[in-house]
Amino acid sequence: MRARKEKNARHISPTVWLLYVWTVLFVALPLVYVVAITFLKKGDVWGITDQFTLENYQNLLSPVYAKVFLDSFLVAILTTALTLLIGYPFAYFTAKFSPRVRAFIVLLLMAPFWINSLLRLNGWIILLKANGAVNMALQGMGLIEEPVKFLYNNGAMMLGMVYALLPFMITSIYNSVEKLDWPVVEAARDLGASPAKAFLTVTVPLTVPGIVAGCVLVFVPSMGLFFISDLLGGAKTLLLGNLIKNELMQARNWPMGAALSIAMLLFTTAFIFLYKKVTGSKNLGGLM
Amino acid sequence: MKKNKWASKLFVFLVLLFNYLPIFVVVIYSFNASKYGNWAGFSLEWYEKLFKNAQILRSLKNSLFLAVSSCALSILIGTAGAVGMAKSRFRTQNLLENVSMIPMMLPEIILGMAYLSFFSIARIPFGMITLIIAHTTFCVPYIFINVQSRLTGLDPAYVEAARDLGASQTRAFYDVTLPLITPAIVSGALLSFAMSMDDVVISFFVTGTTSNTLPLQVYSMLKMGVTPEVNALCTIMLAVVFGAIGLFYLLGSLRKKAR
Amino acid sequence: MKKTLIRAFSLLMVVALAALCVVGCSPAPKKELVIFSWADYIDPDLLAQFTEETGIAINYNYFNSEEEMLAKLEAVEGGDYDIIIASDYIINIARSEGLLKEIDKSKVPNYSNLNAEYLNQYYDPEGKYTIPYVAGTPLIVYDPSKVTCEITGYNSLWDESLKDQLVVMDHMRNIIGMTMKSMGYSLNTEDPDVIAQAGEKLLQLKPNIRALDGDTPHEKLISGECTIGYVFTSQVSAVLTERPDFAVCYPEEGMGFGIDSLFMPKNAPHEEAALSFMNFMCDPQISAKASVFTQYINCNAAATQYLPQEFLDNKAVNIPADVLGEIEFMEDISAEATEQMNEIWNTFKQS
Repeated sequence: MRARKEKNARHISPTVWLLYVWTVLFVALPLVYVVAITFLKKGDVWGITDQFTLENYQNLLSPVYAKVFLDSFLVAILTTALTLLIGYPFAYFTAKFSPRVRAFIVLLLMAPFWINSLLRLNGWIILLKANGAVNMALQGMGLIEEPVKFLYNNGAMMLGMVYALLPFMITSIYNSVEKLDWPVVEAARDLGASPAKAFLTVTVPLTVPGIVAGCVLVFVPSMGLFFISDLLGGAKTLLLGNLIKNELMQARNWPMGAALSIAMLLFTTAFIFLYKKVTGSKNLGGLM
Repeated sequence: MKKNKWASKLFVFLVLLFNYLPIFVVVIYSFNASKYGNWAGFSLEWYEKLFKNAQILRSLKNSLFLAVSSCALSILIGTAGAVGMAKSRFRTQNLLENVSMIPMMLPEIILGMAYLSFFSIARIPFGMITLIIAHTTFCVPYIFINVQSRLTGLDPAYVEAARDLGASQTRAFYDVTLPLITPAIVSGALLSFAMSMDDVVISFFVTGTTSNTLPLQVYSMLKMGVTPEVNALCTIMLAVVFGAIGLFYLLGSLRKKAR
Repeated sequence: MKKTLIRAFSLLMVVALAALCVVGCSPAPKKELVIFSWADYIDPDLLAQFTEETGIAINYNYFNSEEEMLAKLEAVEGGDYDIIIASDYIINIARSEGLLKEIDKSKVPNYSNLNAEYLNQYYDPEGKYTIPYVAGTPLIVYDPSKVTCEITGYNSLWDESLKDQLVVMDHMRNIIGMTMKSMGYSLNTEDPDVIAQAGEKLLQLKPNIRALDGDTPHEKLISGECTIGYVFTSQVSAVLTERPDFAVCYPEEGMGFGIDSLFMPKNAPHEEAALSFMNFMCDPQISAKASVFTQYINCNAAATQYLPQEFLDNKAVNIPADVLGEIEFMEDISAEATEQMNEIWNTFKQS
């Protein structure tokens, strides 16, 4: 096998062509367009002109934008950490159930995903608003007098982020845990490792691919999500997704919106690259 | 050990509960007589309105068609790509991998606007075709990532053994590789299906006048605060999904008994 | 496990496909009118009536932001859609981009019913392209039992007692414009010094803001999440319907104003149908119903007699002319001013 691989040092499997052509046509070309407009000036009132400029990239350095990048990064990291903290044990415990129960839990987890995410977030609003179910119950029990302000703060925003992205983390980790080689773990136990030690030194390293894939699937969208901070956070914080949307729609500055998107793309890519370097995984999720 | 088992069961239950809390609210409020705010009595009014709303039903049809076809296409492209990549070595390989992931990493709105211009320049009329292309493009990475992370963990000895036993490359793929990666394909597909059924931003830009999707309708209605009909619709969708799951379990246990 | 999942998945696919068949395909009707507007902005009963009277089927497409709509309209070169309902400023841009089609008034005899005050505005000075649908002005609405300070105008919103109570629209131009009006300037001011001052003042409003929301602020007011809001006309009405105890304030510093109109894009595929729809919407009785449905100010002089008393008593949609006084449209401003406002807005949201 090894010999065969080396012989075909430059070998493209024919099945790759489909992905290749599709990617060039529908990803690379639109991307070229996005990159191209970052070098153009915006029109006075609407649209873009054909004048070349580097202004959009210079503007990226303004402190307001830097702060937005930092804020979004922190939110994304926090979201990833929280989903990992909840998602890993969930996936791990689920994988230990009998196959039928396992499949059932996975289906149960995915089923709500067929329901519009905005509607599910709306469910949270109904629960948590001033005259919502939770406040009513607390008031009914005499625990509080005035309704608690659950909504429109950073806590509510984080709740929404974790809620929306948790299943991405769980499915990725579950895929790894499910194919785990349990005898290896047992061997570690037999050799005298404590359950905790066996878990940390054997199970976790074996499931790193799933963790990395899950973190990428959560981290990447959480950089760009805008409707959660709008709906649950009261639109009071400015994250990258909101900023880009504002630039494109309210300020009608398409080149700036495109430049911010490209910056975000580079930033995310760089971060994932670093993350993978640190965790030592090479070829996961197709990234880097 | 016993205690652990209970703790883990409780944990799984609580996370699922967290997942379902807002959905219970949606279901309950679909029977609410009042349009705004609080509970004002039981009513089937919204279901009645929903079934009269031809536009919603039409867009449901569009969405299902779109989700099924873009899901199928992205399974084909993503799986073939991931499997092929594992067997190939070429200079642009890394580049291709990274570029194909970009739809996941760009904000939807800029992707939507890029597609708007792209299809307009390419003279592809906006409609179901442009929707399928766009949805397939953002679904492929989910399949690809899942399949690839499964492939990296697979022991190449399986395929080698099959090959040594005289199986052709195609045969080895269908009999050995495919069954091993199927769970990854399925979980990727479930995610893609959900993504397609939930996408608003990109769909808005690439849809035509006769291909409106359900999320587009629902999003606009929710944004303007019109929720009861939408609650009713989602309750029905949820009921169908759970009905299917229940049926599938029932059939499974019947077959087991027959055996 | 694998098999279970595969079977589950194939089952879901089968269900999806079956549902597809059940929902079925209906053949596209020959006579059709494609409308593009916000969701729920036209009374479905009126649309049904139009279809019944003319045999023209309605295909109602939604947009969520007008900028998205215009970008889309440009990409299809003013085709695909027959009737668009949108607000004044975006129509003005669409006009300068040459995306509007002139209305053949001989096909719209009901045009004469329209209130002349709403015609020939800045976005259509010669009245060639647009039919006013409804108009509105953002107002302050509040819960007098919770708000302790006196509310007289925009400046009242800065009162310290309103900490974490206020909901205002999430809209750069409107909010910065409101701030400039509170300082006694026009909301279209382009003077960089004034804009900078407004930016300073706006930052002081942040502690009072509970949420920014231009779409459903009425829900936040009805639920008691916020006690005071600066919101659009129909949202004021929605609040008053559910909570009649709320009070309305006509800001003393003067009001902003907006008109939403119907227009045809340059290459509208069904021009005849679009013209007959325009005529239909200008009918006095229809127009009255449309205003009641949207809860915006009626623009049809002949429709006044058909407006129900309830509507006329509503302070949000029936504003006495002397109170309304000098109104002001939100017009396009220079690129530099927009740029400066955008910076202010970003700083404000981020603070």
